[in-house]
Amino acid sequence: MRFVLKTRYQQDINLFLHNGQRFWYALLALSVLAAPWFLDRFFLGELSLVFIYAIAGIGLMLLVGYTGLVSLGHAAFLAIGAYTHTWCLQRGVPLPLSILFAGLLSAVAGIMIGRPTLRMTGIYLAIATLAFAIVVEQLIAHWESVTGGYRGIVVPKPELFGYSLSGSWPFYYLCLACVTGCLFLALNLLRSPTGRALAAIRDSEISAQSMGINLANAKSTAFAISAAFTGVAGALFAHKLGYLSPDAFTLLTSIQLLLMVVVGGLGSLHGVFFGAIFIVLLPQLLAISRDLLPAAVAQLPGLEPGVFGLILVLVLIYEPLGMYGRWLKIRQYFSEFPLYRKSTHKRQKSYLRTERVR
Amino acid sequence: MSEALLSTHSLSLSFGGVRAVDDVSFEVMPGEVFSIIGPNGAGKTSLFNLISRLYDADSGDIVFDGQKISDIPAHRIAELGIARTFQNTELFEHETVLRNMLIGRHVHSRTNLFSELLFLPSVARQELAFRQVVEDVIDLLDLQSYRDQVIGSLPYGVRKMVEVARALCIQPKLLLLDEPSSGLNPEETEDVSHWIEDVSQDYGATVIMVEHDMSLVARASSRVMAVADGAVVAIGAPQDIQNHPEVRRAYLGD
Ligand SMILES: Nc1ncnc2c1ncn2[C@@H]1O[C@H](COP(=O)(O)OP(=O)(O)OP(=O)(O)O)[C@@H](O)[C@H]1O
Ligand SMILES: [Mg+2]
Repeated sequence: MRFVLKTRYQQDINLFLHNGQRFWYALLALSVLAAPWFLDRFFLGELSLVFIYAIAGIGLMLLVGYTGLVSLGHAAFLAIGAYTHTWCLQRGVPLPLSILFAGLLSAVAGIMIGRPTLRMTGIYLAIATLAFAIVVEQLIAHWESVTGGYRGIVVPKPELFGYSLSGSWPFYYLCLACVTGCLFLALNLLRSPTGRALAAIRDSEISAQSMGINLANAKSTAFAISAAFTGVAGALFAHKLGYLSPDAFTLLTSIQLLLMVVVGGLGSLHGVFFGAIFIVLLPQLLAISRDLLPAAVAQLPGLEPGVFGLILVLVLIYEPLGMYGRWLKIRQYFSEFPLYRKSTHKRQKSYLRTERVR
Repeated sequence: MSEALLSTHSLSLSFGGVRAVDDVSFEVMPGEVFSIIGPNGAGKTSLFNLISRLYDADSGDIVFDGQKISDIPAHRIAELGIARTFQNTELFEHETVLRNMLIGRHVHSRTNLFSELLFLPSVARQELAFRQVVEDVIDLLDLQSYRDQVIGSLPYGVRKMVEVARALCIQPKLLLLDEPSSGLNPEETEDVSHWIEDVSQDYGATVIMVEHDMSLVARASSRVMAVADGAVVAIGAPQDIQNHPEVRRAYLGD
């Protein structure tokens, strides 16, 4: 076990806690930078997809895991990002600017859904965001002059300063750059007053208010930021798809995004990455298991959403902190080896809180 | 006599048929430790919720520091200099002690979202300055050993202290304490009177506390207000209130 002796306040606000952490993250950074030399086209493509999902996941995690607001409509922000990006590229807007616009327009949409739902939580908010996503889906389907409706539109190939980025290598680095940027912004937010305000709202709205946090503003901010990240992910996702149509952004996509943050581990950015890897691997695993399963089961049409739902429920019951929570326990097991006790992580009974304000 | 820091004028609040606060008027002077006592359901917490604007009064006014506050939103109360604790503690459960206390500095934050996203030097400087204040409060209340622990893992007594610490980080003019000693053991209760003294002297904060423990009230407070069924029964020095016939009747229920 490692105990960190803090001697300066600066150590509190550094991104890395100690040199050990710095070493491991540097190693990780090196290996993702070098990945194209080791991975073939297919796996590089999958890893790019992990990064894209991770960007959306960072957005959703800020909302669900850090602000405590649930959303079943994040496919809508992904769609808004993807279509905005495509629309901009078609008109010759340079790639970085176009990605930025995708994020900004998504943020505006985020505020539009955030404002009217300020007083909603839990299941009501889930339904409201779901309704919002359906509206957006319909809008895309019927606004044919811009979106091409169900016929769809072709996404222009990505290029930067005249160089094509559509090859698997350059696109991989584009995704890597974006996910690194987004991660940096999210980490900064979380160590700043606004990030703390979001966590305060998640844990106790009344006491957040009494600490001077304007709930309406903070929640709108959370929605805007969350939507912006997801919009950026949408822009990259558009290239991955190559061709946009409304059925790429359905309820199933929203559930998939939610599944990612829940399975990864609510309330941690590590969890986002665990979740993103999981989400990308899952269809592959399903494809393999389809071959092994009896034909009658394997051909069931609802197999994929069914499995998603089942996993979501199982995780919520047995490991509410997700894969990251499990990882922490495993790590602790080894670092304390013979002394580890199973009860260390037994959930404590919390104090009775029936009389919330009184 | 100097100007009152806080005064209420004929404050009333009903829940359906229950008159939780009934025509309550009182004044608290700067630097005072003012206690509010009364049997269960007397309306003490409701009074706090009115002052911190979590509830809207049916009628009456609240004036703080020369300003009428009965119609401003709850989230602006802290920046005016009123901080509070809750009867059953309302901490940010999944955050560390340090981060809970830093939220107390929220009203003093001058950075905007974009500088925070980039963590510009101005944000870093502010974070360091915040920690300076927080650390002073940690020293005052002896919370060093819990600094980086998550609230969920702390015993009840410590949580109560953290809540006070968080409120102090606002550097309030007025501190509202709702039953600071409830759920504490006798030694911890003994400590309460000491830190209340520190808070009122070192921080120059005026304190209003709701409390059931009469010996603590007698030791710590300069004046006491007794309430029953939402209405004021008597206001005066601790000994006078303890021996007041009407107060005794309110408690014993003749
Ligand atoms: N939100 C509410 N809704 C309905 N009734 C309420 C509410 N809050 C308080 N009351 C009622 O108002 C009255 C005063 O309650 P309050 O909590 O202010 O009492 P208290 O003096 O703090 O009591 P205690 O010593 O038990 O904390 C009680 O009858 C209570 O049932
Ligand atoms: Mg009470």
